[in-house]
Amino acid sequence: MARQTTIEERVPSAATRLIAWLGYAFLLMPSLVVLPMSFGTGTEFDFPPKSFSLDLYREYFSEPSWVASTLTSLQVAAASAALSLLIGGLAAYGIVRYQFRGKKLLTIFLLSPMLVPTIVVALALYLYLGIARATGTTWGLILCHAVVCVPYVIVTMMAGLRQVDRNLEIAATIMGASWFGVLTRVTIPLLRPTILASGLFAFLISFDEVVISFFVSGVRTQTLPVKMYSTIHWEISPVLAAVSSLLTILSLGICILVAALQKER
Amino acid sequence: MRFIAPALVLLVAAFLLPLLYVVYLSFGGSSPSLEKYAAIATEPLYRQVLLNSVYISVVSTGLTLLLGYPIAYHLEAQPPRRRTVLMILVLMPFWTSILVKSFAFTVILGKSGIINSFLQWATGMEGHLPMLFNRFGVVVGMTHFLLPFMVFTVLASLLTQGPELRRAANVMGATRLTIFWRIIFPLSLPGVMAGILICMIMSMAMFITPALLGGRGDLMISNLVEFHVRDTLDWEMASALAVCLLAITGVFCIGIARVRGGQLFGEEG
Repeated sequence: MARQTTIEERVPSAATRLIAWLGYAFLLMPSLVVLPMSFGTGTEFDFPPKSFSLDLYREYFSEPSWVASTLTSLQVAAASAALSLLIGGLAAYGIVRYQFRGKKLLTIFLLSPMLVPTIVVALALYLYLGIARATGTTWGLILCHAVVCVPYVIVTMMAGLRQVDRNLEIAATIMGASWFGVLTRVTIPLLRPTILASGLFAFLISFDEVVISFFVSGVRTQTLPVKMYSTIHWEISPVLAAVSSLLTILSLGICILVAALQKER
Repeated sequence: MRFIAPALVLLVAAFLLPLLYVVYLSFGGSSPSLEKYAAIATEPLYRQVLLNSVYISVVSTGLTLLLGYPIAYHLEAQPPRRRTVLMILVLMPFWTSILVKSFAFTVILGKSGIINSFLQWATGMEGHLPMLFNRFGVVVGMTHFLLPFMVFTVLASLLTQGPELRRAANVMGATRLTIFWRIIFPLSLPGVMAGILICMIMSMAMFITPALLGGRGDLMISNLVEFHVRDTLDWEMASALAVCLLAITGVFCIGIARVRGGQLFGEEG
């Protein structure tokens, strides 16, 4: 078939392309600066570094406070991702598959933590946990992060569920499967990529969350972002370049993983 | 209903009730008064901070649109494969921790940072451009943070435009510029409006960027909330400021729902 040249195959003008590429460069700039810097030496900020080493990474992994905060973050992120995946996944299933009164309003309520400014949520949870004497506890932190993660899980899962062919579920029901059987043997296997993607998103959101953690975490439950925040605020240290690079690689890894999962879907 | 019950319980217990408590405290708690709101309305400090927030948000959102629209337009014109690859350039910073970005910008914009070192080397002159711990730094950091949100929103609206109108206009002899200004741009306006509103919501409530990249004169509402929680221990004032922020957000949300034909998140369909 002859290739048609249509207007939608247009090439944007040179000026548009220039601005767009400047935009891409601006977007990538922080990562491009941080990565080479992390392989620098010593205590000075040099860009590009004069000589390369793994000193900063060594410093990061040998400093107990960095390691401890990283472990706290991993723990909290894993737990809140699991919790929000379970709760949010069920909610998305209920919203997409069932009709009930007040559904629209309930959906908006369930998604509203995405819109309420984080600082407001942070203040509210700080005061609230203060009353419950749970400020600085790990479980308090997990619960707070779950509040932020649940809406994202619901949105991603809703999108995924809408793409699952309902007829497969109906067929299984006709063949005598219970709702639980349908859920565990038809819907969940079909949704596997979406579930993984939502879980990874929730993990990353919790792992990167800083404002709420800044308010509700204690000295012993300081998360990695909170530690980074105070380090940038008080005594910018080159080790931050190593931490930042590791975080960038984590984000990139999850990003690529999710893109691959979407292709699978 | 039984499926959404756990989520409902979590959000009522750990989201709605805490928020209501903030509202309660903002009105004076057990001794009701409008004192804190009166202070916000009259004291110069609060007016200054509100002005800062509006100024920084409007400038950042404007810059984000100027940079984001061409990116979205460029992405839309790419064949799907290439678009996916280029999308990673936008998604990457979206998923990068704001602390990584803030740290990077302190290194890039600082007194002996990358740009100033380069300028000193290139011009051979001493001295530096003040780009960090001032408004410039906040706007740069904020624009960087907002850009992916704008690109996604505008791109989504560009992608829903069918090729028919453009093709028809092309056949009728319209130039590329005419097609853009008479068809593509007007049709993308709801997306642009949604993008602007989303960026305004996020920038008005920004906490990290002004705290790390701004100076003393660039405090925004969020920073003042933190100040009252940590330094003056005036929880009622912090709550009143939070409620004001919530109200501002609410107004913008109504705007978004209007632009999107009654849907805040696209929750139906």
